[in-house]
Amino acid sequence: MLFGLVIAGIILCAVLSITANRLLSSAIWLAGVSALSAILFYMLGAREVAVIELSIGAGLVTVLFVFAISIAGDEAMNAKPLVPRILGVGLVLCLVILLGWMVVPGLVTSDPTTELSSTDILWDVRGMDLIVQVSLIFAGVLSVLGLLSDKILPARAAEKGGRS
Amino acid sequence: MVPALILLTILFPWAGALLVSITGDNHPRLQHFTAVFFSAVSGVFAVILLLNTLPVWEGIVPAWVATDPYFSIPLGGAFGNVSFMADGLGVYLAAIATVIGSLAILFSVDYMRGEKQLGRYYAYILFFIGAMAGLVLTANMLFLFFFWEITALCSYVLISFNNDDPKAVAGGIKALIITQFGGIGLLLGALLAYTVLGTYEIGVFIEKAPLAIPAFGLSIAAFGFLVAAAAKSAQFPFQTWLPDAMEAPTPVSALIHAATMVNAGVYLLARFYPAFEGVPGWKEAVIAVGVITALLAAFMALVATDLKRVLAYSTVSQLGYMVYGIGVGGIFSSQVHLLSHSVFKALLFLGAGAVIHSVATRDMRAMGGLGKKMPFTRIAFIVGALALAGIPFLNGFWSKEMILESGLVDGPRIAYYLMLFGAGLTAIYTFRMVAMVFFGKPRSELHAHDAGLAMKIALGLLALGACTTWLFTGRFGTLLAGTLPLHSIHYLGVKELAAELFTAKATYLALGVVALGLLLGWQRERLTQLTSLLRIPAGWARDSFGFEWINRGISAAVRRSADGLSYTQSGQLNWNIAGILLGLLILLILTVLGS
Amino acid sequence: MTLDPLILVAAGVCLLAGVGLYGLLASRNLIKIIVAMQILTKAAVLALVAAGAASGKINLSQSLAITVIVVDTVVAAVGLALGVQVRKRFGSLDAANLASLRR
Repeated sequence: MLFGLVIAGIILCAVLSITANRLLSSAIWLAGVSALSAILFYMLGAREVAVIELSIGAGLVTVLFVFAISIAGDEAMNAKPLVPRILGVGLVLCLVILLGWMVVPGLVTSDPTTELSSTDILWDVRGMDLIVQVSLIFAGVLSVLGLLSDKILPARAAEKGGRS
Repeated sequence: MVPALILLTILFPWAGALLVSITGDNHPRLQHFTAVFFSAVSGVFAVILLLNTLPVWEGIVPAWVATDPYFSIPLGGAFGNVSFMADGLGVYLAAIATVIGSLAILFSVDYMRGEKQLGRYYAYILFFIGAMAGLVLTANMLFLFFFWEITALCSYVLISFNNDDPKAVAGGIKALIITQFGGIGLLLGALLAYTVLGTYEIGVFIEKAPLAIPAFGLSIAAFGFLVAAAAKSAQFPFQTWLPDAMEAPTPVSALIHAATMVNAGVYLLARFYPAFEGVPGWKEAVIAVGVITALLAAFMALVATDLKRVLAYSTVSQLGYMVYGIGVGGIFSSQVHLLSHSVFKALLFLGAGAVIHSVATRDMRAMGGLGKKMPFTRIAFIVGALALAGIPFLNGFWSKEMILESGLVDGPRIAYYLMLFGAGLTAIYTFRMVAMVFFGKPRSELHAHDAGLAMKIALGLLALGACTTWLFTGRFGTLLAGTLPLHSIHYLGVKELAAELFTAKATYLALGVVALGLLLGWQRERLTQLTSLLRIPAGWARDSFGFEWINRGISAAVRRSADGLSYTQSGQLNWNIAGILLGLLILLILTVLGS
Repeated sequence: MTLDPLILVAAGVCLLAGVGLYGLLASRNLIKIIVAMQILTKAAVLALVAAGAASGKINLSQSLAITVIVVDTVVAAVGLALGVQVRKRFGSLDAANLASLRR
């Protein structure tokens, strides 16, 4: 019962996030999706991920969005979507039904196997992942720094004069 | 010890590449120094690795040093392990790549003095050296492909180094496309091996492939690898990219297109020979590719007027000899020829680089009589030319005779005679090249000065190598035979080799052909009747026997179809996403239907 | 409801993915597109955790889920930085302005 409510809440928040007019509302509804999914993770037994999802999803990402929106401006865009609505809805509906048909019967519960603790797995078995994550974060920081800098190279400056 | 050496040989040049690009183009002297230092030290590592692998050192070297040559880092899952195998075939090619690489970089200190964007140049050369070492030392087929692609990328960037020159850019793209097309063959074989055997390990493949893989699959893999090797080593029918790649700066040509990257194809064939020798028609196809290429390229070298193009065609022709050697089963002789060829061809290219650098033209018709003004370069170049032609007591003679002998014993007779004819052609065009550049009366007013100090050191060391590498044939043989049990290497020490060669009639036949070739080259001005007879075939040779026409046709067809298909790319983000989702839908439907 | 909660979660994953995909298709505002990507990623993480809960190997799925969350956060950060630069250079966040592959 509780599961059903939480899941329904997640989907409702997601739909409201996509259809919101103002960007700030989208970001807040996204935070709601994060919070509810953190609760869901906890109910499924994945406690560490729940904590991380709550702090990163509902915290860090929301702050990122708010920063970006405040710099980039919050004007609502009432433009019609480029892809015709019927085509879009139809494509997504087909995908959802197909996915559901493949995934839903396949989730068979089996007996819990004895497993290493989560910290052991994270550091020993999946250690390579951590190295990759660190290098990815490094690369991400460098690219954000590069993207947000205001230095324009000389050739680009001449080009910029003629750009619309 | 061995794992550390292997990793250092591959990663040290890469560290050098990073450092050179960080130093920035405002400190060219520091960049020169860094590049030379890193490549020289990698050369030292590779040579230590080579010495460590020699079986003769057992008993002299303490046991903890001579560890198992195979080591791997498990990555878990789909890509297999990052495994390396320091066996004879790999370590000597790694040593060639790093040592000749360091000599080419030393040469570049003088050649590229005052050029812009040195950071890009040195970084890519060092990146290439590390990748080449990785290519020959790896024991995982997928990583072989990975390093293969890195060398192709570096080759492209370095060919188009002068990216203001449209010919250089066109040459680079042509090289990239043709070698990448070959890479598909390599990937096909690797994936086939994984599907059937469940592993990417080269050792397992060579052992089990003839038995475990069904015959049809094995033929696909065999011919796929042959296509990959032919494309990479510029063999028939893919030979058109190497002459156009001569737009690269000459040290790049010496390193990549004479001594290392083009050897990757020959390495591939030699490495996988035990797996494929049983495939019906494969050995014959390899022999045919080798013979046709050797002769075709020798003809084109005979009529070319651009100094570097003659050397490029000569490289293609000599690689044809190596491929022919592998096809008849003479793995040892082909590898010795590879070693000799790397040394003397690098010497020839660097010598040509010294000439081109001082007279600023590549056209041989404008040169002549340069020997008086460039005595050191002339001597070094002549040493290389003698080795190429196959004069005794230089390394080219020994290796070429070994290949011809393997061909006489194991291969079809007609191929042997054609290759013998090719040796004669080699002598003719070599003599013509040396005579046109260094002797005779100067054909135009050219300012020439002899090579600088760094160039002289590089040329001198390579000339020394050309005179001496044949002394190590015996040790080389023990290295290969000791570490490659499946290849059935038949090798001889230097004394036995000398005894065998100088008592065989075939050797004197070959020497006679070479002498005849040299004579014809010397007297070519007087043979006007003969040359007028050959005018029409010479015209064909200048048009590269129609291969350029095929290339132009293919690129025109591709461009037309690209124009037609460009309507599907609107550039709108939402339509692109719709396209992705449509593709996903089709894939999911296929999965559902297939299960 | 006697439905196994995991079936509900699986259905929820599919619907959430659908919402995210529709958002990707229908939005023209770049920041909205990034929001939709985030929703899609949350569906993927949910699927991972549900699979872990179903097979009993919850700790392995947690490690993978942590990796996915880190990656997706970095992607969001870089995407938002790109969006800010687009706004500065083109004056608007409309994705339709970014198509320069005109015939």
